[in-house]
Amino acid sequence: MRITVMCFRNLLRRRLRTTLCIFGISLATVFIVAIGATTTHYTQVIRDMNIFFTGKIVAVPEGAMVVQGFPVVGGNIPQNIIEEIKQIEGVEAAVPMLVRFGYQIEAIVQLAPSNITIGVPYGNWSMLVGATPLEPGGNWPSERDEVVLGQSIAAQYGLKVGSTLPVKDMNKTMHILTVSGILDSRSALLLRGIIIPLEMARRLHYENPDVTWKGNMVVVAFESGLKEEEIAERIRAETRGIEALTTDLRNEIVEPLLSDIETWNAGITSVLYALSMVLITLVAMINISERRRDFATLDAIGAPKRTVLRMVVTEILFIGLIGSIIGIVVGSFSAVLFASQYTNIPLSLFLSNIFEIVTPWLIVRVLVSTVAVATLAGLVPALAATRINIAEGLRSEY
Amino acid sequence: MIVETKDLTRLYHLGSSRITAVYKANLKIEEGGIVSIVGPSGSGKTTLLNLIGLNDKPTSGEIFFRDRKTSSIPDKERRKIRLRDMGFIFQTFNLLPTLTALENVELPMALLGIPQETQRTQAVERLKSVGLAERLEHKPRELSNGERQRVAIARALANNPSLILADEPTGELDSETGQEIIDLLLNLSKKETTTVIVATHDERVAKVSQVKLSIKDGEITN
Repeated sequence: MRITVMCFRNLLRRRLRTTLCIFGISLATVFIVAIGATTTHYTQVIRDMNIFFTGKIVAVPEGAMVVQGFPVVGGNIPQNIIEEIKQIEGVEAAVPMLVRFGYQIEAIVQLAPSNITIGVPYGNWSMLVGATPLEPGGNWPSERDEVVLGQSIAAQYGLKVGSTLPVKDMNKTMHILTVSGILDSRSALLLRGIIIPLEMARRLHYENPDVTWKGNMVVVAFESGLKEEEIAERIRAETRGIEALTTDLRNEIVEPLLSDIETWNAGITSVLYALSMVLITLVAMINISERRRDFATLDAIGAPKRTVLRMVVTEILFIGLIGSIIGIVVGSFSAVLFASQYTNIPLSLFLSNIFEIVTPWLIVRVLVSTVAVATLAGLVPALAATRINIAEGLRSEY
Repeated sequence: MIVETKDLTRLYHLGSSRITAVYKANLKIEEGGIVSIVGPSGSGKTTLLNLIGLNDKPTSGEIFFRDRKTSSIPDKERRKIRLRDMGFIFQTFNLLPTLTALENVELPMALLGIPQETQRTQAVERLKSVGLAERLEHKPRELSNGERQRVAIARALANNPSLILADEPTGELDSETGQEIIDLLLNLSKKETTTVIVATHDERVAKVSQVKLSIKDGEITN
């Protein structure tokens, strides 16, 4: 107990240095949490997107930029292609969908789109959302102008079942959509999803709704017993200008991107931890160098090595723990602030679900890693403290 | 015999030059009383004290503490001997600055595993015996040099050691305070039947000691 008290008093005795060290660790932790939470969240969102069409084939126009089966940029699919796909042996259903991400600046796609609008033909909702239910009191759209919203969008605009949602189409004509239901799902995609009947989506997104384009993707279900790759090959062979993406292929397309993001995240985290280690080691070495006489005195009066080791490590652990806690709190808020800035989704919506972005697992991981890094960084100075020559140390000046 | 040395030698290397701090010192120190080691600065007093106090290892020769050969025992054992059987008083007091006077005195007892209640009672007693009953909760920086040295003496006595090693205990004190410390050391050597070995160039300390050893250029001359 006395050792712990001594440690705290030693840290308080050098308040400015301790504060600056804690600040340094906090700053590193803020970046680790903010970057970690943001990248983890968005890689999770991207991975989550492929769950929607697992076991199905997604057909998109050739050359379209696709993220997990959802075309982000490029191309449309005409009605005749859909008919051709339906005729392919083994195909049970070919459901066209029209997907639009929250475009903002002309053709430049936002890094983190704030919404995703998906047009789905009547009665085919399950092809997109599977068994996802609606919140009590809601219904799937039964009219042309009805819409189902994700919880986050509904909360952001204060929309409920029966609320109206005015939207402009490509010809600047105003349409009043009625909210028929709110999706009861915490899926990142569905939270910001606006699901509308395909015909309505076509009217909103195409300048001329009479064109033969039916959407920009087709979800293909096929007879059981057949392999995805087999059907995909048939689609590629029997249609023109269409790329058929199997579940594996969709993952393969996005995996290098996710891998890059994760590598960068790991790289930045490693650099920040390395810098933290250098900072902690430096501060601990300065502290020890100033207290050589104290350590030599402890040694002279017979204190075991482990006492000195414990003192130094406890001081560093305290710095690491306080630094990481401050860093995690500030970093969590930074992460949601960052997400809010990039998506134009109000901060309050992120704050109420902060643990979906800054997951408890991330918090525990950062806390444990920072404390481990601090301990590791403190070991060298702690060992140095135990090896001070008593005779020399006793002569040291403060 | 509490301490015996045989041909005790300590050499230092400073760059390419070799310094002989203590050379073939042969001592036999009986239990009880004050033994002073007198000599000018740089004569090897502190080195000899550090060797006897097991804070340093000899280059050659032997040290016996209560007939136990200590030159080659492991560091852990040396620590145990220092903690149980020795007390140290330094010229610059060497109190831990973040601990109060009371806590500084309790520290050796805590390291020995004495229960906290006992530590507190004994530490208070020790501080009272050196005249610091009113200064228990003061930190070293709040004490005068004389008071600091008294705390150091109380700390040295904490575990009832059989040997106290004092390195220039009056070196940082004015003559009046120095005399008080000398009286205190004299008293404790009588009362506690503790052997006190003092390295000093203060003639007053030498006068009150039962045995006076002179050291010059690392060699015991008398």
